[in-house]
Amino acid sequence: MSKLKGKNGKLIAAAAVIALLVGGFVVRSGSGASEGGTITYLTNSESWTHADPNRNYTGQHIAWFGSYMHRTLTAYARAEGSAGSAVVPDLATDTGRASNDNKTWEFTLRDGVTFEDGSAITCEDIKYGVSRTFATDVITDGPTYAISMLDIPKAEDGSSVYKGPYATDKNDTAAYDKAVTCSDDNKTITFNLSRSVGDFNYTVTYLSFSPVPKAKDTGDQYDLAPVSSGPYKIEKYKAKDEMVLVRNDKWSKDSDPIRNAFPDKIVVRFGLAEEVRDQLILSDSEPNAFSLDSVLPTNLPTVFDDAGKPKAEWAERALNVYDPYVRYAAFNVKKVPCLDIRRAVYFAKDAAGLLQLSGGAAFGGDPADGAIKPLMGLDYKKVTGLEDYKPAGNATAAKALMESAKKSCPAEYARVTDPKRGLVFDTADSETNKKGAAIWIDSMMKNAGIVMKFNFIEPGSYYAVVLDATKQSDLSAGGWAPDWANASTVIPELFTKEGGFPMSQNWDDAAYAAFKKKSDAALSEPDRTKQGQMWAELNQYVVDQMWIVPGIFSKTQEMWGSGLGGIFFWEPQGAPSFGDIYIK
Amino acid sequence: MFAYISRRLGVTLLILLGVSFTVYVIFAFLPFDPAALTCGKNCNDPGIIEANRKRLGYDLPFLVQYWVFIKGLFMGRTYGEGAALINCPAPSLGYSFQEHSCVTTLIGEALPVTLSLALGALVLWLVVGVGLGVLAARYRGKFADSASTVFVLIGTSLPTFLTGLMLLVFVVIKWRIMPFPAGNYTPFLEDPYEWAQILFLPWITLAFAYAALYTRFVRSAVIETANEDYIRTARAKGLPEGTILGKHTLRAALAPIVTMAGLDFAGLLGGAILTESVFNLPGLGRLAIGAVIEYDLPIIVATTLLAAAIVVIMNLIVDIAYAFIDPRVRIA
Repeated sequence: MSKLKGKNGKLIAAAAVIALLVGGFVVRSGSGASEGGTITYLTNSESWTHADPNRNYTGQHIAWFGSYMHRTLTAYARAEGSAGSAVVPDLATDTGRASNDNKTWEFTLRDGVTFEDGSAITCEDIKYGVSRTFATDVITDGPTYAISMLDIPKAEDGSSVYKGPYATDKNDTAAYDKAVTCSDDNKTITFNLSRSVGDFNYTVTYLSFSPVPKAKDTGDQYDLAPVSSGPYKIEKYKAKDEMVLVRNDKWSKDSDPIRNAFPDKIVVRFGLAEEVRDQLILSDSEPNAFSLDSVLPTNLPTVFDDAGKPKAEWAERALNVYDPYVRYAAFNVKKVPCLDIRRAVYFAKDAAGLLQLSGGAAFGGDPADGAIKPLMGLDYKKVTGLEDYKPAGNATAAKALMESAKKSCPAEYARVTDPKRGLVFDTADSETNKKGAAIWIDSMMKNAGIVMKFNFIEPGSYYAVVLDATKQSDLSAGGWAPDWANASTVIPELFTKEGGFPMSQNWDDAAYAAFKKKSDAALSEPDRTKQGQMWAELNQYVVDQMWIVPGIFSKTQEMWGSGLGGIFFWEPQGAPSFGDIYIK
Repeated sequence: MFAYISRRLGVTLLILLGVSFTVYVIFAFLPFDPAALTCGKNCNDPGIIEANRKRLGYDLPFLVQYWVFIKGLFMGRTYGEGAALINCPAPSLGYSFQEHSCVTTLIGEALPVTLSLALGALVLWLVVGVGLGVLAARYRGKFADSASTVFVLIGTSLPTFLTGLMLLVFVVIKWRIMPFPAGNYTPFLEDPYEWAQILFLPWITLAFAYAALYTRFVRSAVIETANEDYIRTARAKGLPEGTILGKHTLRAALAPIVTMAGLDFAGLLGGAILTESVFNLPGLGRLAIGAVIEYDLPIIVATTLLAAAIVVIMNLIVDIAYAFIDPRVRIA
């Protein structure tokens, strides 16, 4: 699950099929790469959101820590384009062995894999790491796939009966020990799942399946000093200051065919003022620096032309690419059950104005036509039925739908056109969102006669509010990036009651039962091509029902100093392939 | 004197108690759930929110929460259990789950940064501000006065963040007169040269605005004092101008400036947010502003308490200093 957090997301590329066909090592050779030197990363953030592998969730963090410090059972190939979506073995000797109708998955660890202190990484270390993700009161923010997938009974309140390694009261450790087992030689780990998961080997690319040595675990404070299993280890980490990584001399390339270790040292400078961060790159005063944040809008014209392409002098130093996100507005279907009104909102929306606010097509992205991005390839099919869409809003279509709504759902029609009540839109409280609100309000009134009101919510608690069925308004802004190259991490997550981000509250909709049945069928469909078709059909279904108003397939911009080479956009993580960066 | 100071310190403690209680009350009535801010992406699970509420103690009644906080100041606090147990020894101001650290530790790290910044800036702005102010008053209507007026205008017009940003972008990044600081703070005892190098531009930034204000203030005070009868008498007695200015005029003019400087300094110790942000200094200002954005209650309470304590103590110091500067004032 990934939500609106700037560019920190996960791009899922098209090629699940390619991934499966490649099925092995697609590793960027790093030809021309040289070893040595110090790479400096610059960021406005005051620290990493999390350095603890079990708490890493956003694509950029996974890409960074996964490149330098934390290994897991499988990983994405280090390759440009769709080839990067191939899953390859990491700590494991292969990409996993499934049995029992994909309910049992086994991974065997390679020989010679160690932590930074030289101690061998064992099955118990992986098992312990996964167990920490159950301690959701301590190990916050991380993916909860282990909780939802492992065959561990649920308590009456719906939570797992296993509460993680720290709880001492009413904790069913035996249930966890049954769900995750280690072989006698402590080298093979077996996951027993509660349902068929055909792509569990993608799930374990998450660092939440990384090993953690029990003896070194300090709970919440492990976030400040996690133990490395990768090519670098922490020499210094201080929030608001810097992180310094140095070579981990216990790491061996022989036991890690997918990672490179080019620089001698890696420094992350936190808390730089945004303009200072950009100027350091623009002036090239630190040639070996890489900005971890998007380029400031005011500096975009210096680096890119009007079409969004890097200018000639920036051709080797900047990227303008699609980020992993689909931005949208989710209808609370319980509060807005009238399909005509939902569709009227879509056609009345001034998408061009909103896109302009996000930087225009060159930098903001393209208008979205559903919840699945075209980069998903196999799972994406252009949505039909939106032919009347016009970038600045189609007043004719919207008004016709409102006329229809007057008869089909008169009470709701009266409410959304009543100046005192109207349609209430939840969004995080920010200056940009306030400008966007003005565009929404104007276009709704002008094109459909709908009164739109805004509920600005403090950003830190935004999702806690809108995911609370009792607090969500009629419409809520959202953003989503798939967790891996399968829309199984999109459609069920967003549109089923059991999903991780069900903002549409659509389970009482008449259309839901059939949708859910098909979604469940797609989840357990072993034929990936057929499964892709099913996801595309379900995406069409979502738009037909207008459970969300599609927004933007968004973009992000990156830039770096002239001294760096080897940079490419690592599609499955929606971030640069940090591990391949070297000093020229 | 001892009784006076003891009495003032007693009042200070009462004020701090009142401030801490007020901050707690404000938080209790704000329209957000602090527990819901702790679980990020997993906040769609009420079980997780409830577990976090319990762990952080937000499930307790408001007054009990406040009592636990006060008790922690004297007895320390523990959080969690098993391998996740966290111990914050007394005087504990709580634990920040956002910063993964005891708040007392965070304050202990941030205070020297802000103290270094504020002290250096204070010295700079007093030297420049008092110096220019005296010059402008001494040569009233002449070039020095006009030049100081230009300085005052620029200094009071430029926002601190712009001054800082311009210094950083031009002096360091574009013209490369100074190297980009290797780190964002080095303690004085560790490396005095690097300490000064990192703080040099922040001192100038912060001192620039204050020096402009002080120039204007000192100029007015000196001119006003120079018109006093006793100055005229001194001049009539044939005292040299330097003695009149240094011994009689400035001494009288300085008293209100000491008050002003004390309060300004106290305000800065609470955190020079903009300067710290532009120059990436990990001081109290950034700690406080970060906590406000993240709704990190323990840090907000601690930084507010600290700022209040500094203001009250600086007031006390100013009052005592007054007695030494102005013999007419006696502490009762």
